[in-house]
Amino acid sequence: MSSHAASAPAALSAAPASTAPAASKALTFGLAGIVLTALGLFVSGAKVVAHSWLVGVTYWTAIAIGMLLLVLIHHIFDASWSTVIRRQFEHGLAAFKWLGLLFLPLLLASFLYDRDLIWPWLDLNHEMHGGHTVGHDPLYLKKAAFLNPGMLLGMTIAFFASWMWLSSRLRRASFTQDQDGSLGWTRHNRVTAAIGLPIAALTLTFAAIYWIKSLEYHWFSTMYGVWFFANCVRGALSFGVIIMVWLWQRGDYRGILNTNHFHSIGMLMLAFTVFWAYVTFSQYFLIWNANVPEETFWYNLREINHDGGSNQWKWIGIFGILFGHFFIPFFFLLSYRFKVTPHILRRIAIWILAIILLDLCYNIMPALKDSHGDALPLLSLNLLWILTSVVGVGGICVWAYLRSFGTAKLIPIRDPRIGESLTHHE
Amino acid sequence: MSAQPYGLIATFKTAPALYHAAEAVRDAGYRHWDCITPFPVHGLDKAMGLRRSIVPRISLVGGITGFCTGMSLIWWTGAVDYKLIVGGKPLFSPMFAFPVSYELTILFTAFATIIGMFVLNGLPMHYHPVLKYDQIRRGMDDTFFIVIEARDPRFNAANTRALLEQAGGEAITELEP
Repeated sequence: MSSHAASAPAALSAAPASTAPAASKALTFGLAGIVLTALGLFVSGAKVVAHSWLVGVTYWTAIAIGMLLLVLIHHIFDASWSTVIRRQFEHGLAAFKWLGLLFLPLLLASFLYDRDLIWPWLDLNHEMHGGHTVGHDPLYLKKAAFLNPGMLLGMTIAFFASWMWLSSRLRRASFTQDQDGSLGWTRHNRVTAAIGLPIAALTLTFAAIYWIKSLEYHWFSTMYGVWFFANCVRGALSFGVIIMVWLWQRGDYRGILNTNHFHSIGMLMLAFTVFWAYVTFSQYFLIWNANVPEETFWYNLREINHDGGSNQWKWIGIFGILFGHFFIPFFFLLSYRFKVTPHILRRIAIWILAIILLDLCYNIMPALKDSHGDALPLLSLNLLWILTSVVGVGGICVWAYLRSFGTAKLIPIRDPRIGESLTHHE
Repeated sequence: MSAQPYGLIATFKTAPALYHAAEAVRDAGYRHWDCITPFPVHGLDKAMGLRRSIVPRISLVGGITGFCTGMSLIWWTGAVDYKLIVGGKPLFSPMFAFPVSYELTILFTAFATIIGMFVLNGLPMHYHPVLKYDQIRRGMDDTFFIVIEARDPRFNAANTRALLEQAGGEAITELEP
């Protein structure tokens, strides 16, 4: 293992097989999704479509943030086994600039078209349940320094700017190292990781608060940023598995990945499943235990209607969130055999990705209420616009990933840890 | 002839030689045998035909036991043995029993894992017959060994010796019990 480059398989000196047809297909899907979502404006109205778009954009942003975190964590720990899959996450980071662009319509529509479109606190004349307005709401006034149009705009720009800055630093260093083999780039990325981790932690927390939690600005939960973080990493790991199996089946990763790479990423998926459950349960349990109306209303909205009957969100909470997001992946991922069999591991990865979307719906969509103040159900026409938004944003993100995929080698062949990674053993 | 020996030990100079010899011994169907190497040899577990440890299953049993213990503890103390309403909460709910159950799940899993590991690997072991072999300390330096125990049903002093010789083993020696 003295010469790291020499231990990489010979096939790697060539660029990976073309992904251009797949990229243009992804772009077509993305544009079609965006057009369909835009049509929804005439069918279901701006408010519903704006919330659906918020789900779509935050979903893919969460996955991209997760990839950013995994690359940063890889560098800060000087990790070895993940070197061969790190490059795929670096390609995924190419999506940030497009995600920023796709977030823009939400801000533009909120500022120029209707202040009350998504975040009620943007509109001081928004009527509250008791008859007064947001501008006279003591709970708003206490938070006004934080929740105001200027802060939303500035913070959102700051989030995307810092993610794009970190991504470009990581990508440039890693891709340049392929050419010159300089160890300096590894140190460069370690510095980026040391600076970037606190930045990423703070920005993702505030993003979750500004974009999602503030939809119900009366509510508070100190677990919210951590909940979002857990979903980000779970999404990125699951997406990583899908990419690994795709490249494995296509032949690119033959001779590169072995059983232990799948086992290791499977173990991380299990760990983050437990972590997600810990955080999400803690949030629910503390609110259940304290039993104060300022906090419980958030869960009540997702459980019962004003007449006391259960609504759809109750069953989504029990079967989707509790069982689907925790018990099923947990027991599935306990098995060694499931973790090391690529196509079986991919099954649970797809499942987790679908449930993360449901989790985001659970957190965002009940902000849409009917005249009684009850949450609108998920299983309705609204679901269609969520799906078109996810396909729309996702198509663009996958296109950005595939476009970047062809510009660099499949694995960082001159990374000092590449030899260790190729011979990864548990 | 003296008493039944503990087994036969064969010496190998390189890791690949040991690896292929292990495959030969595995394919001959032996079960009570072991390799002694100065460092971990990747893939040797497969070459020896070792199955994965059952410790994870013992851990799972420990975890489930811990979870049930926690739940029943809170249910028994709060809802059966000494009923007391606290903070307007029900006498029993899995909600407030969960932190205790969670902690006991982890505790019992840890106990089951550690105890299961020690029971299965037989440690601590104060005496082992290979320690009497005068060359054995080289197994911590630059030499590899395969030991086949006499209690193996396929063990036969002449045939086993022939197998080890054929597999490239040198200095094949009988070990005293």
